[in-house]
Amino acid sequence: MAIVKMKKATMIALQSEKNEILNDLQRFGYLQVVNLEERMEQGFEELQPDSDNEAVGRLEAKLSQVKYSIDFLGKFNTAKKPLFAQKVQVDETKRKEYLDNEEKLNEIYESCRSIDSRFTEIKSSETKLNNAIAQLTPWLALKEKLEEIGTTHNTNSILGFIASKYEDELSTAVKDEDLTAYLEKVGVEKENSYFMVIYHQTCEERISQLLKQVGWTKVTFSEYSGTPEENINRIKAEISNLENIKKELAKKAEAMVPESGFLEILYDLLSIEKDRRSVVKDFIKTDKTFMLQGWIPEKFADDMTKLLDGITDKYTISFEDPSEEDEIPVLLNNPKAVKPYEMITDLYSVPNAKGIDPNIFMAPFFVVFFGIMVTDAVYGILMSALTGYVLYKYKPQGGMKNMMWIMFFGGISTFFWGGIFGGWLGDLIKVKPWWFNPLDEPLKMLIFCLILGVIHLYTGYILQAYQNIKAGNFMDAIYDQVLWLMLLTGLMFLALPPLAAVGKYMAIVGAAGTVIFSARSEKNIFKRLISGVLALYNVSGFLGDVLSYSRLFALCLATGVIAQVFNAMGLMMGGSIIGKIIMIAFLAFAHVFNTALGVLGAYVHTSRLQYVEFFGKFYEGEGKPFNPLRIRTKYIQE
Amino acid sequence: MENLIELMGNSGLWMAFLGSALAAGLAGCGSAIGVGIAGQAAAGVITEDPSKFGKTLLLQALPGTQGIYGLLIGFLIWSKIGVFGTIVPVTIEQGLMLMLVGLPVGLVGLISAIYQGKASAASCGIIAKRPEEFGKGMIYPAMVETYAVLSLLASFLMLNGIKL
Repeated sequence: MAIVKMKKATMIALQSEKNEILNDLQRFGYLQVVNLEERMEQGFEELQPDSDNEAVGRLEAKLSQVKYSIDFLGKFNTAKKPLFAQKVQVDETKRKEYLDNEEKLNEIYESCRSIDSRFTEIKSSETKLNNAIAQLTPWLALKEKLEEIGTTHNTNSILGFIASKYEDELSTAVKDEDLTAYLEKVGVEKENSYFMVIYHQTCEERISQLLKQVGWTKVTFSEYSGTPEENINRIKAEISNLENIKKELAKKAEAMVPESGFLEILYDLLSIEKDRRSVVKDFIKTDKTFMLQGWIPEKFADDMTKLLDGITDKYTISFEDPSEEDEIPVLLNNPKAVKPYEMITDLYSVPNAKGIDPNIFMAPFFVVFFGIMVTDAVYGILMSALTGYVLYKYKPQGGMKNMMWIMFFGGISTFFWGGIFGGWLGDLIKVKPWWFNPLDEPLKMLIFCLILGVIHLYTGYILQAYQNIKAGNFMDAIYDQVLWLMLLTGLMFLALPPLAAVGKYMAIVGAAGTVIFSARSEKNIFKRLISGVLALYNVSGFLGDVLSYSRLFALCLATGVIAQVFNAMGLMMGGSIIGKIIMIAFLAFAHVFNTALGVLGAYVHTSRLQYVEFFGKFYEGEGKPFNPLRIRTKYIQE
Repeated sequence: MENLIELMGNSGLWMAFLGSALAAGLAGCGSAIGVGIAGQAAAGVITEDPSKFGKTLLLQALPGTQGIYGLLIGFLIWSKIGVFGTIVPVTIEQGLMLMLVGLPVGLVGLISAIYQGKASAASCGIIAKRPEEFGKGMIYPAMVETYAVLSLLASFLMLNGIKL
């Protein structure tokens, strides 16, 4: 099926040709190297684990320099980033030139570093200066020079502050005791009053006692000269000077922004080399040779031999089938249209090599369910046109590309289902439905949705049967799936009069078979039968699964009726010309909003139907994705 | 009782309004709470990594649907009794039925939106720590929403059965 068959390749070649071989293997991109170290114990003394740690370390150090510079310059890049970045093309000579240009990298890195550290320095001195201003501000009104505060021959002057509520207490005490002291209130800030106290040295003892009582906090400005105001102005000038320096530094950094292109390319080139050298640690070596082992898709095995022939004739290679205990990496090979849906499955779990790849079965249901849940022809056109344009114009990569394709197919499906059920911007454009209108015949719609559900679930059971047969358990498929499906089908036929008679026998055979065989591993005959009877209860589980598909109808209903609500609200505005303009603007916005809402709901609920109802029936997952040594880039074309 | 019925002019219209109010009101409350809960967690994630805004916004939007479902049933009730055009006469019995129509979507909407909000908030943790598992994080809140969807369906089928 769609899981690619893998071979295990084991190769021995010369150390001297290792780099060349690896270089080509990386470009070839279909070999996933596995670690050989644990196999060494099997008795060859002269075998050693191979490694290229020194080179990898050097590359990592360089990469971190490049990354730092890219990030740093990114902060100064004022150009708007495009939503879908294009990858640049770099030819071979340029690649070599860039890799060899170590000086340029060093230069850029060093200047980034120096600018960055200057910024940090400036920031810390700015904080210091701002603190000084905050400290000086309450003293703004003080006209004395700060260096003159202190001791003279007979007097002392000190600065400090107390809580404003003790202010009176202090001044009355000074007055009442007739101390030779002078209090000057300089300012008030928050809950504190700031004072300069001048007193004769004879009353020093009493003054300090008084001050202690009112909670005096002494302030000294030993490092300043001049009045507080002069100082504040000087500091402000310093700060604005720093601002200018910062601007100049930013300009310097901005001037280097064009170098980002060089850095990005270098980043990719170094990463490629690092990837290549990192795999060496999985090899084992002797003095002159090395040995590697890896997984390769069967169909590429010949290509690999050809590739090696092109380099040297001094090698041996063998391809063998995977053994039972091997953990085989999984590579999927689906048609192009199904590829994007692999993402949905991978979100749940990657298929494993012994199970089956569900994507090709899941994708059609996904498209259909998605469409039914949105069900509006115009919304569908909108979605497909938008995503189609983005795909054509910007060529997004990776997850974004898959998402766009899923939306694109979803849009087409939405268009068809919209036509079938007569949804064209809700009821704004009156088009006769190709089939019927679910709002008029809800029961018909509900039954239709449940039938789709039954088909989906049956597909799941059949896939489980296939899986059993593939694993050689032919009888399991009969006992567990065929009998079960007979029972379910029979029960459903009972509801349809012309088929009721057939249905009765099918249900009886199915039920009897299930009772007898479902617990066949049980030795005790009574226990076995009781477990069998209990297994019949799964019918109610099946019923629950089927009813879960009523969400198809409910979400289709939601999109349609919300659109109608918006239309009704919009049309109420459409009186005058201005009203009409507002109406059109409102309707445009409302329908785009409803599309977004519908798409989100459809995506989430379709995924849920796949994960819970469908995958629950057969899917195992938990595989390891195939991760070959290949050229991986972020900025440049591969 | 006789007096009350006389007072109402022998019309069930007010009950129909009550039904639509329950549907739109309760479900709306639920969504408001749910979206709020998810938003708080989402804001926490953004303080660490602002680039995750889009993903957290999606998660926050998930418990918002109940309010819309409630409004939807409210709207269908209004259009049935002709609020947007000429009012249709509604008997007491019909009015009562229309009131009950609002209950499933209103009640289930209220409760499920709150719990969906909590599930969304927990999924924000997935986005913070393992952003690559975002898809799984969307499914947990969606499991809760199932019941809101079913209640919407229940309300709709009930409404559809009422002939005025």
